Amino acid sequence: MLLEAEGYDVIGEAPDGTTAIMEASRLHPDLVLLDVNLPDLDGFQVAERITAHNGAPAVVLTSSRDSSDFGPLVSGSGARGFISKGDLSGAAIAELL
Amino acid sequence: MLGLRRALLALFALGVIFAGLDVALALTSSHEDQKVVTAILGPLIGLSFIGTGVFAWWRRPLNRFGLLMTGVGFAWFLAGLTESNNSTVFTIGSYVEPLYLVIVIQMVLSFPTGRLETFAQRATITAGYLDVLAVRLPFFLLGGDISGDLTGPRPDNVFAIVDAPDLADVFDYTSTFIAVVVLVATLVLLVRKRQAATPPQRRALAPMLWTGLALVGLLGIAFLVDILGLPSEIGDIAGLLALISFAVLPFAFLAGLVRSRYSRAGAVGELIERLNNPEADRSLGLALADALGDRSLKLVYWRPSAGHYVTYDGRPVELPEAGSGRAVTEVEREGIRVGAIIHDASLADEPGLVRAVAASAALALENERLEAELRARLDELQSSRSRLVEVSMFERRRLERDLHDGAQQRLVALSLQLGLAKRRLEEGEEVAAGAMLDAARDELARALEELRELARGIHPAVLTDRGLEPALEALAERAPLPVSLDQMPAERLPAPVEAAAYFVVAEALTNVVKYAEASTAAVRIRRNGSYAVVEVHDDGVGGADPTIGTGLRGLADRLAALDGRLEVHSPPGEGTTVRAEVPCA
Repeated sequence: MLLEAEGYDVIGEAPDGTTAIMEASRLHPDLVLLDVNLPDLDGFQVAERITAHNGAPAVVLTSSRDSSDFGPLVSGSGARGFISKGDLSGAAIAELL
Repeated sequence: MLGLRRALLALFALGVIFAGLDVALALTSSHEDQKVVTAILGPLIGLSFIGTGVFAWWRRPLNRFGLLMTGVGFAWFLAGLTESNNSTVFTIGSYVEPLYLVIVIQMVLSFPTGRLETFAQRATITAGYLDVLAVRLPFFLLGGDISGDLTGPRPDNVFAIVDAPDLADVFDYTSTFIAVVVLVATLVLLVRKRQAATPPQRRALAPMLWTGLALVGLLGIAFLVDILGLPSEIGDIAGLLALISFAVLPFAFLAGLVRSRYSRAGAVGELIERLNNPEADRSLGLALADALGDRSLKLVYWRPSAGHYVTYDGRPVELPEAGSGRAVTEVEREGIRVGAIIHDASLADEPGLVRAVAASAALALENERLEAELRARLDELQSSRSRLVEVSMFERRRLERDLHDGAQQRLVALSLQLGLAKRRLEEGEEVAAGAMLDAARDELARALEELRELARGIHPAVLTDRGLEPALEALAERAPLPVSLDQMPAERLPAPVEAAAYFVVAEALTNVVKYAEASTAAVRIRRNGSYAVVEVHDDGVGGADPTIGTGLRGLADRLAALDGRLEVHSPPGEGTTVRAEVPCA
């Protein structure tokens, strides 16, 4: 809702990490906005899998926690960056891309 | 050992030769009324001393008691020289005749070690020897009458230089008087020896002590009769009874040995019966005290995990030192130390008995050891549990305060700001409303940050989700000084161990930041056998005291709950090392 209000086009949604990886390779989006807390895998693993090959979509991680909670996990996951949910906005995402 | 045995056999053979000589002297004596009796009893008495003495010497080569007893036998045979018709042999025999009595008194006083232990004992025995060998010498030299009451041909005193029998008699009386004093002193010393003895010692002393008391008392009476000029029949009876007591001594010694062997077998048998009787409800310590006849006996149990002995109640206990009158016999079961018996030092003379009793009680002792270990752990558990409750109460209060002072205040402020912004909007002041909303967002961001900080303090999510290393990496990144993670375990550790390790590092780093004035800190975590070892070292000022402040104490208690340990090494000026050991199977 927030993203669409700010002009992003949402082409797919996934309820868990495994589905997210499949949907990302099927739909070839420009951006995957990924919650760190997922019911099956965790967001860092999913980010690594999605960004593992060339031409992969950009991944931005988000969580209700702060990036300092995760330390170097964020930079090690292949994600473009991390935005805490409280700060989530189209402008914040655009800054990372 | 074989050499000693051969020498002792030779000694006994020598004794037999002496006995033969004595028999020959007695049978050919022209002044002996009781030839047959003397020829039979004399060698029997002498050989019983030499035989028993040689036996004791062989069994306990380092104990001088056997030597003394053998000496009594030979001295007794020397006294037999008075049976000789030859004046020279007779005079020598007369001179050394009382020697066996001094040696036998020394033997009784020094039983069972063969060594005189007090100054009074040594002085008394020295006086005895001086009396016999020195005080009596002038009596011989002055031509004293050495064959006064003999019947038949009277051998001459060949030591006589001058003929002054009256003056000689002065020395004779003096010597008898000194003999009485020595005997009275010996009586007192024997009674004292008994009083000073512990019950197990007393039991071992009894046969020898009572026979010795009778001998010394009767000899004293015989000499007194002589000095005071009382009817000689009394002296003769006392002398005869003294001789009987003397003859009985070797058998008293043997009786003591048999008695302690018998009591050993009896004690062990009784103990086994008692241990096998499920209805016997008295403690093992009491059963052992009864079996060994030592009321002061104490049992202690080995705690391998702590590396020291504990009492039945699980309290740590120190073993008595050597020379304290108490001795320690360790008890092993299948080669593993289970405990120790602290007993009277005199029982150490019978190590076989203590060991036999200990061996038969080893299983029961092992059971009691486990109970004692359990009680000791329970004690530690109770105290660490109550400290944990304290710590958790303290943490709850801190949480409540932090929530109240922090996030809650900010949310209240936020509510007020939103209310104000709404009013501004209603009043159409959109710019002012926007500014207020910005302020509200800032307030909200700070509230969120504080809540996150709190949540991390309770249990960081990344630790649960990703494990120790990512959690520590995040912790190191947040720290205001460079923290290097030098060594990390290759695999995940059990969750409680990881949590404990995490909080050790977190608390240690908090202290480094607060107090250490350090420029860097290093963290090392490794597995060492069944332990995880966590070390946090900084290059700061050192001098940290772990007993001050709740942080490290609380950590120590958390670790104790896992059977772990916390050490702080912090010499002033050399930085601080916090080291924790957490068991992880």
